[in-house]
Amino acid sequence: MDIFTIYLPIAGMHFNVLLLLLIGFTVGVCGGFFGIGGAWIVTPALNIFGFPMPYAIGTDLAHMGGKSIVSTMRHGKFGNVDVRLGVSMIIGTTVGMEAGARLVMALERAGLAESVIRKAYIVFLGLIGSYVLYDYISHTRRTKAAGADYVPSGQDNLAARLQRINLPPMIHFKASGITCSLWLPVLVGLTTGVVAAVLGVGGGFIRMPALIYLIGCPTAVAVGTDLFEVMITGAYGSLTYAVKGRVELIAAMWMLLGAAIGAQLGTVAVKYVRGYAIRLLFATTIFIACASVVLKQLQLQTASAAMILTAGIVISGVIIGWLFKGIVAERAAQRDNGR
Amino acid sequence: MKPLPVLPLWRHRLRAARAWLTTAAIVLLSVEALAAPAKPARKLVNVADTRGLDPGITRWIADLYNSSYWLFGLFTVALMALMGLALGFACDRAMGLLGIHLGRMEHHE
Repeated sequence: MDIFTIYLPIAGMHFNVLLLLLIGFTVGVCGGFFGIGGAWIVTPALNIFGFPMPYAIGTDLAHMGGKSIVSTMRHGKFGNVDVRLGVSMIIGTTVGMEAGARLVMALERAGLAESVIRKAYIVFLGLIGSYVLYDYISHTRRTKAAGADYVPSGQDNLAARLQRINLPPMIHFKASGITCSLWLPVLVGLTTGVVAAVLGVGGGFIRMPALIYLIGCPTAVAVGTDLFEVMITGAYGSLTYAVKGRVELIAAMWMLLGAAIGAQLGTVAVKYVRGYAIRLLFATTIFIACASVVLKQLQLQTASAAMILTAGIVISGVIIGWLFKGIVAERAAQRDNGR
Repeated sequence: MKPLPVLPLWRHRLRAARAWLTTAAIVLLSVEALAAPAKPARKLVNVADTRGLDPGITRWIADLYNSSYWLFGLFTVALMALMGLALGFACDRAMGLLGIHLGRMEHHE
């Protein structure tokens, strides 16, 4: 296996190329399917195999920008990227992330950063995961009660109420099929930006459900639009870490190679899965991320990272399974139509 | 159970205005509190070890890293973007070979 070991001069270590490709592929599949950057998988995975933490974060951000381009291109062709909505949110996200970073510094000065952030992370992810799971269960019950043709009205949910707030300028977001005040995505971006910066996550975990439950996007559009944002925040994050000398570029290139293939598969899988199935797997993923932080809190660093990597591989397997099932069904339908 | 009293419209508006004012005050106070400067970060200098490296892409990247972090940063962003575009295009073509429909999709919740 020595032929697969390469020297990484910036991090000053040797690393297995196959491992980099595997980590990239896994996070690519999950990222393309859920619309997240995947820092929660990559950073601990690289760290557990010997990468110093700042290099793990910087290298992850560098490959994240490239990987998100692959997913965003494909989601764009599917009509899942609402560029106007993404740009509106970025304004709020940028300001929110800066405010969140300053809040973290204030917590650091008070000596509370580590404990407060980790506990807040656990509570927050637990709440998001529980809400998404609750929504899935209640949707399934309603569908069973009303039959297969059940279509949710969406008139009385939180997103519909927020869309009705008539605060100029009102904007129509074509890909999402919604009209709302420009201030709604800006404020949602601001809030998710603050929370993402405080919790130290890229934002996808928070932004994707926020796009669904606060703005009212269809699930696939929420995934595509979130990736559009991840692409920009990833590029910015990669620049800031690289100018501080904390990006192992050779490792990022290998990871991007695996991630590009994974991202393509994960993105195309969205086509064959209903929105609520994405939400269910997303809730499961959030609970796993949450459990990993609990393990970290209990000083079980290795167990936490091992659990994340294993879960990432299993979740990618489920997504690829759905993709192949969908492709087989589509090709069978094409053959039937051809007869 | 006794029904809750119905509040007149002006009371609702007053409550909404109070909520907005409270939120604005909290935001302003937080910004003020966070404006205090942080401790200056300790500067860490890193050098890529190129002693055992033969000329090639790895050596070139390590030399670029050692010459300027800014150039290295700009190169990193540009390279990742270009690789993303090229790989995205290539993977897209490869996926097209499977003979599946890759045009606009319908959204099913």
